[in-house]
Amino acid sequence: MSSSTPSAQSPLRVKKVVVITTAMLTFIPFWKAAAIVLCDFGSSAFYAGGLAMRAFGPAFPWYILAVMLFAGLLLMLELEACSLFVRGGAYKIVREGLGDRMAKLAASALVFDFLLTGPISAVTAGHYLGGLFNSFLAQFGFSFHLPEGGFSVAFGLLVTGYFWRQNVKGIEESSSKSAKIIAFSLAVCFLLAIWSFITIALQGAHVPPAKLHFAPDALGWAGKIDWMKAVGLLGMIMAFGHSILALSGIETLSQVYREIEYPKAQNLKKAALLIFIFALLFTGGLTFLSAVIIPPDLIASKYGDNLLSGLAMSMAGPNLLKLLMQTLVVVAGVVMLSGAVNTSLIGSNALMNRIAEDGILTDWFRKIHRKYGTTYHVIHLIAALQAVIILLSGGNVYLLGEAYAFGVMWCFVLEAAAIMALRFKRRGEKRDFLFPLNVRYENFYIPVGLGLLCLFLLSVAVVNLFTKSIATVAGISFTIFLYAVFTLSERLNAKKANTMFEEGYRERVNAETSLDLKDALEDLSQPNRVLVAVKTPEHLYHLEETLRTVNPDDTDVIVLYSKPVENLLYRQDMRSAAVDEHELFTQVIFLAEKYGLPITPVMVQSNDAFYAIAQVAAVADAKEIIMGVSGLHGAQTQMERIVMAWGAVKERELNHPVKVRIIWEGREISYRFTN
Amino acid sequence: MSVKEPYKFNLGRLLSPAEIVVERGNGTKTELIKKLVSAVCKQDPKLDGADILAQVLKREEGISTTLDTGLSIPHARLEEITDFKAALAVLPNAAQDPVNPNLSIKAMFLFLSPAKPVFFQRHLQILSSLAETFKPEFIDELAALGSPEEILARLKGHR
Repeated sequence: MSSSTPSAQSPLRVKKVVVITTAMLTFIPFWKAAAIVLCDFGSSAFYAGGLAMRAFGPAFPWYILAVMLFAGLLLMLELEACSLFVRGGAYKIVREGLGDRMAKLAASALVFDFLLTGPISAVTAGHYLGGLFNSFLAQFGFSFHLPEGGFSVAFGLLVTGYFWRQNVKGIEESSSKSAKIIAFSLAVCFLLAIWSFITIALQGAHVPPAKLHFAPDALGWAGKIDWMKAVGLLGMIMAFGHSILALSGIETLSQVYREIEYPKAQNLKKAALLIFIFALLFTGGLTFLSAVIIPPDLIASKYGDNLLSGLAMSMAGPNLLKLLMQTLVVVAGVVMLSGAVNTSLIGSNALMNRIAEDGILTDWFRKIHRKYGTTYHVIHLIAALQAVIILLSGGNVYLLGEAYAFGVMWCFVLEAAAIMALRFKRRGEKRDFLFPLNVRYENFYIPVGLGLLCLFLLSVAVVNLFTKSIATVAGISFTIFLYAVFTLSERLNAKKANTMFEEGYRERVNAETSLDLKDALEDLSQPNRVLVAVKTPEHLYHLEETLRTVNPDDTDVIVLYSKPVENLLYRQDMRSAAVDEHELFTQVIFLAEKYGLPITPVMVQSNDAFYAIAQVAAVADAKEIIMGVSGLHGAQTQMERIVMAWGAVKERELNHPVKVRIIWEGREISYRFTN
Repeated sequence: MSVKEPYKFNLGRLLSPAEIVVERGNGTKTELIKKLVSAVCKQDPKLDGADILAQVLKREEGISTTLDTGLSIPHARLEEITDFKAALAVLPNAAQDPVNPNLSIKAMFLFLSPAKPVFFQRHLQILSSLAETFKPEFIDELAALGSPEEILARLKGHR
C-alpha cells in the first residue's frame, strides 16, 4: 500500500509525509553520556592541582581528593535534579523551586562561571602546549624559550575562535568523539599511574603534608580578620573553596541527561557512578601522584600551570621517554581542555536560550542565524567576552582560577535549596532518585541529607566570599550587571514575554518531506512496530503508556500526527483539530526523552486522520495501533471509524494480527484485525 | 473489553432481496438512509422505524461513515434488536456525500447491531469486512447488475 497508488487521488488519503527528526531522538548509552561529562569535568585534572598548590601549598592533593569525593554528593544532587525532569538544568530547577528572581540570580552567576571556564581551559591548554614546545627545545639544545604566557593567550584565542565558528554553524561534537577522547585519556592516565608507581618504587616518595600554608592573596579579606585565622575548620573550608575549581564541568550531567537511553533512571545512575570513579582516579589520583613525585618547589616554580606535564617529566627514566609521555599528556590535555572550551560555549548559549524562552531576553538575543539556525548573537557575545577575559588574563591561569567558583558555588547552593523546596512542593510525586539521608513523615521525605549538603555548600560559598576576593568582586559585579540586564530586558519585553511564556519551549526539529510513505518509513529496523496516533499536546496519556511499557529492543514506535489539509473542505471538527504541530512534537519528544526511547515522529497531511492512521500502519506493517480517546466522538465511534478506514485501505492479506487500542486514563478498548 | 475470536462474516446471511434497493434516482444521503431503514423495518414490523432513523442520523452527525471507495455505512447500535440487521442500496448514479462533496456514494450499507457489549467486537468486524469487501471495482460490478436477486447472488458468491 502506498500513496503512489491510484487511491492517492482520494480526498481522504495521505497527501504528504513529513518525517520529523531531531538530535534529541538519538539516545546514547550511559558510558557515552559519562564520556561527554568527563570531557569537561575531567579536564580540571590538568589545572586544579597546580592552582590549589599556589593557593595553600603542598597539602593540595588531599583537598583535590576531598573535592572529588564531594563530587559524588553533587552527582547525587544532579541525579535527584534530573529525576524531576525539569528541562533546562539548574536554572529551571531553581525557577521551579524558588521562583523567578532566584532563578535569574542563579543564571547570572552561572553565566559568569561559564565565561571563565572557557578561558581557564583554553589558556591551560596553551600552557601545556607551550610547555611541551619548551621541553622539546631544551631537549634538542635550543636556547630559545617560548614565552608561555603569550603563547597560551594566542592559543586560547585560537581555540575560542574555532569553537565560536563551530557553534555559530551549529556543528555539535559527537558523543562517539567524546568517548574516544576519554578512552585515550584513560590510557594516558593508566600509563602515567603505572610509571608513577615504578618511579615511587625506584626513587621513594613523600606523603604530602596536611598543614595549610596560604599564599597572602589566597586569604583575600580573610587575612585581615584575625578570628578567622584562629578557627581551624575555617582554614579547611578555605582550602576546600580554593579546590572547588576541580568541580568545573560537573553540571554537564544535567545537560546530557536528555540524551540518555532507556532505561533512563538506571542508566543515569550508572553514568554518575562512572563519572565519579573516573574523576576520582583521574583528577584525584593523578593530582595525588603529582604531589608525591614532583618536588613542591618545582610545582610552584615550573609546573603550576601544567601539573601533569610536570608529572611526566619527573618520572624515573630516560628523557626521550619522558618527553614522549609528556607529549601524550599534552595531547590528552589539549583535546580535553579544548572540549571544555566548547562545552562552556554550548552551556552558556543553552542557558541564555532557556532564559530567552521565558521571555526574559529581548528579541535581539533570540535572533536566529538565517543559514545555520543558531542563536548567533548570544554565541558572538559569549565568545567575545571570553576572548576579552583571555586577553586580560595575560595567560595567568591562577588569576582566572581565583575569579572562578563564585557562580558555580552559589548556583549549587540555590539548586540544592530549590530541590529541597520541591520535595515539599511536589511531595506526592514519585522520583527515581532521592538524595540520601531522609526521614519519612507520612507521604513525604524530609531531606536531612540535602539540608546538610546545602548548609555545607553555603558555608563554602560564604567563606569563598572572603577568601576569593577577585571572584567575589568580579562575580558579584557581573551577576548584578547580568541580573539588571535580565530585569530591564524583561520589562522592555513585557508584552511579548507573556506570549512567549505561553508558547513555552519549542524543540528544534528538522522536517524531511517525502511523497511516499514507504520512503518515509524505510529507516524502521525492529521486527515489531507500534503506531501511536497523536492529536494534541495535552492528550498524550496513551503515548506515555506506550513508552512506559514498550520493549525498545524489538519495537519501533512511530508517532503519527495527521494534519488536516486546509484547502479541502471537510468536517468542521477536523479543521478545528489543527494544532500547532511544533508544540505537539515538542511534547512528544519530551516524553521520548523522559523514557529515553527512540521514536519516529511522522506528520502526514490528510483530511481523514483515521485513513492516515490505517495507511501508515499498513505501510509500516505495525502490529499495534494505539490512539487516545476523543472527547468529541468517544472511543466506540473512533473504533468504528478506524476499522472502516482499515478495511478501505487494506489491499493484501496480513502477515500477523493487528491490534487497535484506544487508551485513556485507566481504561482501554481494543480490537484485533485478522485475515 | 476483551479481544475475541473473529466472527465468520457472511454478507449473504445479513441480507434478503427485500433489503436490497437499486436506487436510480438522485436522492440525498438522508433520503437513502430513510429508504433503507424502511426496508429493514418491513422485514421486522416490531421495529420502530422513526426511532431507528433518528439514531442512525444522530450517528451520522459524528465521524463520517462514507469511505473513499464509494461505500457509505450508516450504522447504529440499538437496544431493541438482538441480532444484526442490514439493508443495501446500490446507486448506478452516484450521490454526493453531504459532508465531503469530493466523495461520491455508489453503495450504501445500512448496518444495525445490538447494543449489548458482547456484540461490539462482531459489530467492528462486520464494519471492517464491509469496508474491505466493497472496493470500487466490486461496487461497479454490483451497480451493473439489474435486480436485488442478482446482487444478492453476487454478494453470496463473493470471497
